[in-house]
Amino acid sequence: MKLLREIGLLWKRKLVETVRQPTWVFVGLSTPLLYLALFAPLLQKFAGGPDFRSGSVLDVFVPGILVLMAFGAGMGAGWGIIWEVDTGVIERLRVTPTSRFALLMGTVLRDVAMFVIPALVVIAVAIPFGFHPQWGGTAVLVVLLSLVTVITSAWSNALGIILRQIGSLAAVITGLQLPLTLLAGILLPLSIAPLWMQGLAHVNPLYYAVEASRDLSQGTIISATVMLGFAVMIGLAGLTLWWATRTYRRAVA
Amino acid sequence: MSASPGDSPGAAVSTSQLRKWFRNGRTKVEAVSGIDLAVHPGEIYGFLGPNGAGKTTTLRMLTTLLPIDAGEAFVAGVDVRRQPQEVRRRIGYVGQLGGTDLPATGRENLILQASLYGATRAGAERRAAELIDSLELAGFADRVARTYSGGQRRRLEVALGIMHRPDVLFLDEPTTGLDPQNRANLWEQLRQLRRAGTTIFLTTHYLEEADALADRVAIVDHGKVVAEGTPQDLKRRLAGDVVSVRLRSDDQNIEHLRQDLAGEPFVTEARLEGETIRLYVTDGALALPLVFDRLRAAGVLLDSVSVAEPSLDDVFLQQTGRSLRDTAAGAASAEVAA
Repeated sequence: MKLLREIGLLWKRKLVETVRQPTWVFVGLSTPLLYLALFAPLLQKFAGGPDFRSGSVLDVFVPGILVLMAFGAGMGAGWGIIWEVDTGVIERLRVTPTSRFALLMGTVLRDVAMFVIPALVVIAVAIPFGFHPQWGGTAVLVVLLSLVTVITSAWSNALGIILRQIGSLAAVITGLQLPLTLLAGILLPLSIAPLWMQGLAHVNPLYYAVEASRDLSQGTIISATVMLGFAVMIGLAGLTLWWATRTYRRAVA
Repeated sequence: MSASPGDSPGAAVSTSQLRKWFRNGRTKVEAVSGIDLAVHPGEIYGFLGPNGAGKTTTLRMLTTLLPIDAGEAFVAGVDVRRQPQEVRRRIGYVGQLGGTDLPATGRENLILQASLYGATRAGAERRAAELIDSLELAGFADRVARTYSGGQRRRLEVALGIMHRPDVLFLDEPTTGLDPQNRANLWEQLRQLRRAGTTIFLTTHYLEEADALADRVAIVDHGKVVAEGTPQDLKRRLAGDVVSVRLRSDDQNIEHLRQDLAGEPFVTEARLEGETIRLYVTDGALALPLVFDRLRAAGVLLDSVSVAEPSLDDVFLQQTGRSLRDTAAGAASAEVAA
């Protein structure tokens, strides 16, 4: 009870902070919409091709954008945490009896909200352009992808506290973001990739989320791929949350 | 278990042989090397020392922010190593960085703080209103904290520190960066808190602050307490006066002159600080004519002479062989250089 209350209080704190910086809300929304407007048309050529059987290009592409959004929503957490360490906010909160897990979850759940809300907007915007969502599958997909945001947010939080410098954090995150996203088949399915790439993708956790997302967006909720996707994401979420909570506990900030 | 020195009964804060090491590459640096102290309930305790003396590290151990490497610490009767969570409930903390949530208003900051200590929404609002009133934050409490001046922010931070009526309030260099007016205001607020029964533990590198504000002072250097007592006691221990002699030109023989003066029977000690010779004498009024005689005999030109009672700086100087003013200035210029 106490924990839930603390998480609620700190979540609200981060949401208020976010709403007061409308630039970030705008940027968070404009990027996926730009993908829809400026990248999706390039894929029209592939429509009806071997990996775009379902007809509309957007049916393949929108889940990919959603994964990208889920990934990106959490990645920025580290920047915020470095700023809060520098201004002493984290230190002040660490002297209160507040649970360290709650301190982390305030940010993580803010990031989840910052994924879910724009995701719903993107889905709504894509429908008139030919996206045919399978409602049940899409709902489960948003849940799965929220786990992706939890993982990246917890990870970025922990890295921010450990590295404590925007420059180093940016180097690590941008350095990993590109290979992780390319090797997950987010923008284009990996089934059109050479075999060595497909093999390499299997060590990329994000790959399992993307694979599951394709099943889910086609309405297949019960499948081995979806199960595997959830298993990997739940396991990884548990691990990153544990790690990040530990860094909050030890922070010499 | 037998009572250890760290477990002084009734003390608001007590430590025994408190230690902390930091690893700097392969070398181990001792930041706090065996600090013993006892803070009485209801007093303002000043932890005075130059930058890098281990003040902040000690404070961070006492406030549960840093693990204690060795020794014992009790705060508000609770063992810091064994029950950090209990310590957190009983203390308030105002850090050097402040810790105000800048995107939120002052009132929102206060309400969240109270809620995190378990207050109900209504209770938190009531307490926030109370502090806004008593600490005179009303003029800006409903503005976003990002827009605050340094003095306003500090006032809010003190309010955040005492939101839950802690037994002990810790402040780390609370007046650094404040103008004289705001510094005086903060001192007054802290005195009011003491009157209300709060024990206050603050670090400072300002002599005037320790002298004017603290009931008792611990002078720290190189991770150790080198002297502890009321400012008056500490100064009285030096018994006598300080005659400062400033020469007109940077006379090459100034060191020679110092040695001569140090050899005089009426001089306890003579130190050189730039172009000023500081003479510790038992009685200033008696010593002054004798000093003039010696200076005339040496044929040097005087810029100024003054007689004063010893300051805390003289106490520091006597204990450490360095002037706190020098070390503070040195640290400040080093910061600028870095």
